[in-house]
Amino acid sequence: MNDELLQVSQLNVRAESFRLRDISFSVEADEYLTVVGPTGCGKTVLLESLAGLRRASSGSVVFCGKEIGRLPPEARHMGYSCQDALLYPFASVEENIWLAARARGVARDPSVRKRMAELMERMGIGHLLRRRPAFLSGGERQRVSLARAILTRPRLVLLDEPLSALDPRTRREIRELLRDLHLSEGMGFIHVTHDFSEALALGDSMAVMKAGRIEQKGSSMDVFHRPASLFAARFLGGENILSGTVRRSNGQAWFAVREGPFLGPLTVDVPAGAGFVLIRAGHLRLERVGGPIDADNSWVAVVSSFVIGGTHVDVLCTGGCRWQASVPLSDWPGLRLVAGDSVTLSVRPENIHVIPGGGWKDRRERGGYCSLAHTRIAGLAQSGSNGFKGGKRD
Amino acid sequence: MGLVFGLTTLMVLLAVVSLVFHDPWSEFASLAENQEFRFALLFSLGTTAVATIIAILTGIPVAYCLARFEFPGKALIATVLEIPIMLPPLVSGVALLIFFGEVLGSALAKTGLALVFTYRGVIAAQWFVAAPFGIKAFRQAFEAVDPRMEKMARTLGYSPAAVFFKVTLRLTGESLLGGITMVWARTLGEFGAVAMLAGITRLKTETLPAAIFLNISLGDIDFAVAAAAVMLVIAFFLLLALKIFTRKEVGF
Repeated sequence: MNDELLQVSQLNVRAESFRLRDISFSVEADEYLTVVGPTGCGKTVLLESLAGLRRASSGSVVFCGKEIGRLPPEARHMGYSCQDALLYPFASVEENIWLAARARGVARDPSVRKRMAELMERMGIGHLLRRRPAFLSGGERQRVSLARAILTRPRLVLLDEPLSALDPRTRREIRELLRDLHLSEGMGFIHVTHDFSEALALGDSMAVMKAGRIEQKGSSMDVFHRPASLFAARFLGGENILSGTVRRSNGQAWFAVREGPFLGPLTVDVPAGAGFVLIRAGHLRLERVGGPIDADNSWVAVVSSFVIGGTHVDVLCTGGCRWQASVPLSDWPGLRLVAGDSVTLSVRPENIHVIPGGGWKDRRERGGYCSLAHTRIAGLAQSGSNGFKGGKRD
Repeated sequence: MGLVFGLTTLMVLLAVVSLVFHDPWSEFASLAENQEFRFALLFSLGTTAVATIIAILTGIPVAYCLARFEFPGKALIATVLEIPIMLPPLVSGVALLIFFGEVLGSALAKTGLALVFTYRGVIAAQWFVAAPFGIKAFRQAFEAVDPRMEKMARTLGYSPAAVFFKVTLRLTGESLLGGITMVWARTLGEFGAVAMLAGITRLKTETLPAAIFLNISLGDIDFAVAAAAVMLVIAFFLLLALKIFTRKEVGF
């Protein structure tokens, strides 16, 4: 594994009353890893530990083939940028960025001067050089902070919620800039955020953190569509998470949704027993009921309400249980749906993701879960739907 | 309420201005020629400068430790360091006299560094009384700095010492100057502790406040008032500097 940039194994960090436990993951040379999790799950502590700002109580951190667990931050040479940019108020924008070169003793190097000029151009901050940080907008601060972090070409850049304090438009701009930098600079990035959509938009890979542990790490798409735990499914905005039972028949696994359809065969083998199914709203196909339904993985439901968004319409249905389907805005007028209409919902077997387990803890968590949209329209939802049809019941 | 406000302000103003009523100006011209005054002024400036520098060199590290690190007994140590603020300067002077006289006196005398009744005693007493004010002010200044600003500098490549000199000191610059001004003002006005430890010996350990005390007791009111007026002018400019540094009441 020559192109491995960072290898963290069994890292344990104690931070006041909080602990990071047994953190293990790796980052490749030009990987963009996003770490997502709710506030207080230890994302910032993890970044600070990697940067050397916190001492680990055990475990190893290998960076560029070298164990750096005991090295101070200044010897690690990683770029660091965070939500509030942390620019020095006593220095101009130019001096702030230049501090990175001074600190590493390369301020006289002509190639660094050239790099500085190029970066200013690229980051769109050339006109701000003489300004003090107090006179910059949030987006400008973030650009300056990023420029400072990457001026001396670190192999790895650590970003702590860099987009969280920005308005939506600036957030999009900085997101584009980050993507650009990642493609052109050939650096590895670790970007922590509590916003999974930001993580999905930027990261090649994603790690989900919960209470000081990494719950899952994989390619962003894989984690998004196939979360390994109920927590991850919920945190990643899973629209349809329903409890039920995995059953096996003829060597294949099927999932019986409680008071809902029978789904399968599952494309990933899962042992029999209680569990949850996740179906992304975008994977749920919605059609007007036309004639009898006898296909696998399709069932009838009743539209209870819908929310029209910029690109999609979220349709909320009841059919045994509650479902949320996402219809492209372009298809919506053709459907001519109103609340109370019957529709057919269907899903392809490869888009049925089952999360095994259903212990008391999971059940309790599930009790609190019913996607927000569903809760909101609970009062409108019609009961006594047609229920499922065409599924297979044992 | 308004009456109390008005009377208090008037009282302070009149008390200060009454110095001027005595007409110190006529003495001013001769002050420059007065050997005793010249000695007292230069001696005061010299000893307070040294005492202030020592207070900076000792106070800043102590204040930084108190502001940045948690350790057992921190609250107790911080309280001990503030004792001289609450103590009457005379009591501080007595304590110093016993410490540098009875306890360390013979050892210091052997090394030629005796403090009692010497200019070194003047500096020690000034430092002892003023340093706690510096520690308090410096600590507040350091506590106002976001520690993440320092952490960021470490990730940029600075060592802890470089972070302190290139980032922390620059971030706290004005507040530290405010603290230093306060320390200097305290050393300049210190009388009780100095008198106890170093005595008031004419043209030997005679600071400006000591000169005023000495001449009042000898009946040379004009000289004393003129010297007091000089101290008033110095105090005014120090106060102005303090306000500018702390930017609290001056609209900069």
